[in-house]
Amino acid sequence: MARVYQVPRHAMLWMMLAVILAGLPHVITGPAWLGGLLVGAVLWRWLIHRGRLRMPRRAVRLALLGAMVGGIFYHFGTLFGPTAGVSLLVGAFALKLLELFRLRDAYVVIVLGYFVLATTFLHQRGALAALYVLVVLAVVTAALIGINQPESGGRARDHIKLAGVMLLQSLPLTVLLFLIMPRIAPLWSMEADESRARTGMSDSMAPGEVSDLSQSDELAFRVTFEDEAPPRAQRYWRGMTYTRFDGRRWRQGGLGESWRTRDLFFPGRGSPPQWWEQWRDQRARPTYTYQVVMEPSRRRWLYALAVPFSETEDVGVARDFRLLREKEIDSTFAYRVTSYPEMPRDYRLTERQRQRNLQLPAGFNPRTRARAEQWRSDAATDQAYIQRILDWLGREQFYYTLQPPELGRNTVDEFLFDTRRGFCEHYASALTFMLRAVDIPARVVAGYHGGEANPLGDHLRVRQRDAHAWVEAWLPGQGWVRFDPTAAVAPSRIEYGLDRALEEQGSQGAGGVLDNLDQLPLILQMGYLSDYVEFAWYKWVLGYDQGARLELLTDWLGKVNPVRVGLALTAGLVIIVLPLAAWILLQRRAPGLSVWQREYWRMLDLLRGEGMRVHPGVAPRDLVERVARRNPSAAEALQTWSRDYERLVYGPHPGDRAAQQRLRRERRVVRRALRRR
Amino acid sequence: MSKALRQSLSSVAGVVLGKEEQVRLAVACLLARGHLLIEDLPGVGKTTLAQTLARVFSLQYGRVQFTSDMLPADILGVSVYDPDNREFHLKEGPIFTQLLLADEINRTTPKTQSALLEAMEERQVTLDGVTRPLPDPFFVVATQNPVTQTGTFPLPESQLDRFLMRISLGYPAPEMERELLAGGDRREAAEQLEGVLQPQDLVKLSRAVEKVHVSADLVDYVQRILEYSRACGEFVSGLSPRAGLGLLRAARAWAVLDGRDYVIPEDVQAVLGPVCEHRLQPVAGGSALGAGQQLLEAVPVVRGS
Repeated sequence: MARVYQVPRHAMLWMMLAVILAGLPHVITGPAWLGGLLVGAVLWRWLIHRGRLRMPRRAVRLALLGAMVGGIFYHFGTLFGPTAGVSLLVGAFALKLLELFRLRDAYVVIVLGYFVLATTFLHQRGALAALYVLVVLAVVTAALIGINQPESGGRARDHIKLAGVMLLQSLPLTVLLFLIMPRIAPLWSMEADESRARTGMSDSMAPGEVSDLSQSDELAFRVTFEDEAPPRAQRYWRGMTYTRFDGRRWRQGGLGESWRTRDLFFPGRGSPPQWWEQWRDQRARPTYTYQVVMEPSRRRWLYALAVPFSETEDVGVARDFRLLREKEIDSTFAYRVTSYPEMPRDYRLTERQRQRNLQLPAGFNPRTRARAEQWRSDAATDQAYIQRILDWLGREQFYYTLQPPELGRNTVDEFLFDTRRGFCEHYASALTFMLRAVDIPARVVAGYHGGEANPLGDHLRVRQRDAHAWVEAWLPGQGWVRFDPTAAVAPSRIEYGLDRALEEQGSQGAGGVLDNLDQLPLILQMGYLSDYVEFAWYKWVLGYDQGARLELLTDWLGKVNPVRVGLALTAGLVIIVLPLAAWILLQRRAPGLSVWQREYWRMLDLLRGEGMRVHPGVAPRDLVERVARRNPSAAEALQTWSRDYERLVYGPHPGDRAAQQRLRRERRVVRRALRRR
Repeated sequence: MSKALRQSLSSVAGVVLGKEEQVRLAVACLLARGHLLIEDLPGVGKTTLAQTLARVFSLQYGRVQFTSDMLPADILGVSVYDPDNREFHLKEGPIFTQLLLADEINRTTPKTQSALLEAMEERQVTLDGVTRPLPDPFFVVATQNPVTQTGTFPLPESQLDRFLMRISLGYPAPEMERELLAGGDRREAAEQLEGVLQPQDLVKLSRAVEKVHVSADLVDYVQRILEYSRACGEFVSGLSPRAGLGLLRAARAWAVLDGRDYVIPEDVQAVLGPVCEHRLQPVAGGSALGAGQQLLEAVPVVRGS
């Protein structure tokens, strides 16, 4: 088969690099063999390029294509959906290299390259991913430049340089469009990674689950406080309340239709219910205002300090002081909250609420039940009773550990009387049980506690390992009061965090020796830095949504309407493009023409305008001869001009301003003579 | 222009009939202290022109007829043993003269041709390790037959570059030819010609030529001509900086002949063909125009957009 492709050889390097680099991020999300296909196709193509192999025949190419499509279907069970679709695209993209005959095919590869590159953002949206895409963008552009150069005279190094310059030049426009162009909601919803499970708090809690979560270093959310942050011990980030207990597992209760209409309120939608108006009237200092940037959790619950008020769109508040969002949080989400930790919470409890918070399954944990009833009858008040339990937990040999032993049917009994080793969920569960057993309404609250301050970004970083569970009890005259049995067992968990608590309890953290590496100053600093970069990236780039855009435009333009936005866009374009264009033009003309040189060209233009054929090499005197043949009187005037011109420009005494003006007048005489004819 | 110069011009033109343009170029070449190459068919007056120039400027005149069996010693001279004084004496060759007519220079071998090289460029001759200066002024006027004729060795580029100008005479116009036929022998007329200028005058004049003003705009024009000849792709290789210097020198001489003390683009254009054409070898399939005409039309006199 004859080699008929006309892709310049110097463009090949960038083409192949572009294919590998653009495909690479998808190898992580797609099937692993996609990486092999990518590298194999590029290698094959390279050998063809070096003349070692021939282009594969049509049958071979078809077989490869079939195998690739089959492989994708086998791996995903479908060819549709974003992940399978992108994998299919990457596979086809790699195979296209093997039928790169003509320039046209090269264009297909490059356009596909841009598209595949854009799909990177389906899965990765971080600052690093953006940087990577930018670099690969330069490579793909270099390939595009390369195939537009002739076979001879192009150098691969120059292509990437030009591509880099072009990207840099396009940057100001990119920023402008990013700031001003309206954000259009996607036309179809893309569930990018439906298959990937997320670590995090779930709708229910069984003994051992929170301790599992505590082994993860993954980020849960970040918080920036507007003013002062509350002390560490006070940072209870409430997420879910568990009210239903089945003897083993605590669940969120009553999320039905009646709850939705009665106990849930989205500020700004409809009239507020009575309970919320009551809250609003009882608000009291101190207040904490902060922004939470939450990682995708695939759940609706938001985390906040009690008692939260939020005006962020789509954020509702439930009667048990939870915040939640209308939709699941499937991408990074930011919301603002103002919390009033000291305000009273629900002096009156409805009967329905009371029932719900007293529910206990019959026939479980008889020993605990007996102990509770006995202690309650000993105590004068509910308060004294609770205090006794907490004192007991602190005094007796209870251990705070990440590796609690398995529990059988009566989880609370076994924990309190036999194993005595547990994580926060064991203590919270036990305390709630003991309260409910003596008719004190109580519930388990799950969320996070604490958070590590990042000095660089001035923000708090709350990770999965900060997961925590505690108890809220309703006391007459006080409303809901928070009790943290973990604080009684391991006070340092609350004061200093998990690591310190585990250390004091004599058990190592999950990472063993490696855990201590985190504390090296350099690694600590690097951790802070990468955390800060990611946070800033979200804050300034990903978080710049329609709302932020309108806010910014309102700041700039006053009122936001299409005409003003259009004008701002145009003005921005002009401001960016004009200096660039002027600069390019000046570069071309440098060094600038002198007055005399311009004068000469004006004369040439004049003669050409009168229909004379004058080549650029003509000297002043020749002009006279040429004109003389057609128009003697004009030739006479031209003679004067050319004599003066010669003397002024080439003579030993250069002309001054007066001479310039005289010359200009003489040119006008020539023009009049020419036109008179 | 001095009266003497004008008179010498008309004297030469009176002998070499109908060739004012070429005569003027030849005189300009001498004023610029450059060597002249005359290329044409035999019998159109090449030798006469050279002889006339020598007479008019009262230059000591030597003539060498180049043949294919000639050796360098035949031109430069040879050391001869003197048995009386028991030492070698240099017997000077015909090159020790003020104006050397190298007739039919391309009939000899490259070895002998190159013997002229040092003499032309340095105006001195080195024989047996002794360097001797040549008289001042010293000019070489060489004639050559068209390369297409049999029995010719083309001049090497290095030697061509040492001639400031190459001109060709061509057949005279009909009435001039009639006049020429009616008149007596031209050689005789040349020999009877009185010297108008002395060699010292020529030296003085060529010093004046060096003082002719060249403006920045004109230097710019010449430089753009050189640049264009290198970049345009019409020639195997472009003009050298030496060619550029020669172009300026010839243009200055032309300005002096025109009675000006500054150079204008027309001066450059007038000498452009004679100065450049023998240094530029057109690529195969290039333009049909002469190299000088191509440069003249393509390079703008004044820098522009």
